[in-house]
Amino acid sequence: MRDLLKNKFAVTGAIILLALAVVALGAPWIAPYDPLAVNLPEALLPPSSAHWLGTDPLGRDVLSRLIYGARISLTIGFIAVGIAVLVGTVVGSVAGFYGGWIDTALMRLVDTLLSIPSVFLLLAVIAIIGPSIQLIMAVIGLTGWMGVARLVRAEVLSLKEREFVLAARVLGASPLRLLRRHLLPNAMGPVLVSATLGVGGAILTESVLSYLGLGVQPPTPSWGNVLNEGRVALGVAWWLTLTPGLCILITVLAFNLLGEGIRERFLRR
Amino acid sequence: MIGYLARRVLSLIPVLLWITVISFGLMHLAPGKPTDATAAFNPKVSLEARQRMEKLYGLDQPVHVQYARWLTRIVRMDFGRSFLDDRPVLEKITERLPVTLAINVWSMALIFAIAIPLGVLAAVRPGGLFDRFTTVFVFIGYSAPSFWLALLGMAFFGVRLRWLPVSGLHALDYESFALWRQWADTAWHLILPVAMTAFVSLAGMSRYMRSSMVDILQQDYIRTARAKGVDEGRVLFHHGLRNALLPIITILGLSLPDLIGGSVIAETIFSIPGMGRLFYEAVMARDYPVVMALVTVGAFLTMLGNLLADVAYASADPRIRVGRSA
Repeated sequence: MRDLLKNKFAVTGAIILLALAVVALGAPWIAPYDPLAVNLPEALLPPSSAHWLGTDPLGRDVLSRLIYGARISLTIGFIAVGIAVLVGTVVGSVAGFYGGWIDTALMRLVDTLLSIPSVFLLLAVIAIIGPSIQLIMAVIGLTGWMGVARLVRAEVLSLKEREFVLAARVLGASPLRLLRRHLLPNAMGPVLVSATLGVGGAILTESVLSYLGLGVQPPTPSWGNVLNEGRVALGVAWWLTLTPGLCILITVLAFNLLGEGIRERFLRR
Repeated sequence: MIGYLARRVLSLIPVLLWITVISFGLMHLAPGKPTDATAAFNPKVSLEARQRMEKLYGLDQPVHVQYARWLTRIVRMDFGRSFLDDRPVLEKITERLPVTLAINVWSMALIFAIAIPLGVLAAVRPGGLFDRFTTVFVFIGYSAPSFWLALLGMAFFGVRLRWLPVSGLHALDYESFALWRQWADTAWHLILPVAMTAFVSLAGMSRYMRSSMVDILQQDYIRTARAKGVDEGRVLFHHGLRNALLPIITILGLSLPDLIGGSVIAETIFSIPGMGRLFYEAVMARDYPVVMALVTVGAFLTMLGNLLADVAYASADPRIRVGRSA
């Protein structure tokens, strides 16, 4: 932990994320306006002292929408990655632990999912079932677990023949206990790195989906659909496009810095 | 080499099967019959077309029979007909493919032209000023939503400065142009989309180039070359870069899905009639035969790209084909 605090990348990322978490949790108290309040006479105002980041085509306050959007975007990022880590860990440990044809079949599935462009799967599944926040989180998670599965499998494979694992096995530990107590804890470092980077990736994906109209549905604000709503006014009100993109950029950057910081910490161990 | 190639190709067969299972499964995600949804969302589908669809897909049959039938048809490159305009799906895809390929080939060229020099220069003095500068650039580039940058580019270069066209592939009076002007016009329209798709992989690629080059420059044979008094430029480019480029071949293969996926976004933003936009339109209209065919074809192209990358790597580096089995 102390090493991590010395790492400039990790500290910068963590501070930005802490600030974001405060903003997201405190949205009702921080946001100057109701993010859903439509006010047509004040549509498309440029940034001013009343509306720091201007207003959108329906006259809603952009700053308030971005503050509430932080909640949605961060929630989607964390839950999607949670699903990916869960599925990846289960698949990776089953494949690594049991080996044989189970391993082969599962790893071919991983290869397959890696070779289908994930945008294709995301768009197709969401368009066919119909967009909702739950589905978006599930689909981003279910198209993003392959990296974790490979990491966990590699770690389990390299450890399962070691003496301490054999010893535990001789003592009668069940497969589940072996995995939980002896194999998985060792894989958690790389998985943590990939999860941290993954949250940034999931937030990026959500923004693309929302921009294409298949993400979070209006009027609920997410950074992606605030961007989408600004699209119609791209020529006259560029700030509607600039600010949500900056929010995404800063957040994803923070996760990448933190992830990279943790990675360095583990590599230099 | 032939043994390696055979093993590598054989290992693709299960992957191919999984791909078809997933593509086929997509159609069955929607509640009810796939043709119901199409008819509900698109009144243009006639009753006759619908009955033909149902018969064609054997929707009265159990799922595994339907899958087997579909599989035997796509093996013969028969992807059926579009729900929207009743044209053969394959024809719709092949007429849209060249634009997408052009965008991807050009953006790949752009990625190489920028990422390789950037990576090499950063690797010459790791931790130096240039290295730290590019690290910051790469981090920011890696985190920026590329479609957002494309929109800003559109607003600035297209709408404000009027330097670049913001949508489509051709000017309105394209047909009246001489051949060279048609080419110039198309190139003109492709600048922003190519820049956007290239940007997606640029940061990552220059990072890989840097770390690969740093690894190589620490090898004993580089020290030997320097000790022999080989001049530094030759050490870098002849001894260093040639070897450092090898792993990049694989990375390029792995970034193919992102390139293909990126063209969906770029072509949608810039209204370019390519494969990516075809996919977006098909998905929005629930044109299942087109969606299924594009998922299959997209995955197949990626796999082919990976195979080519691996074969290229193996032919350049004997350790691969002798050492580990595929």
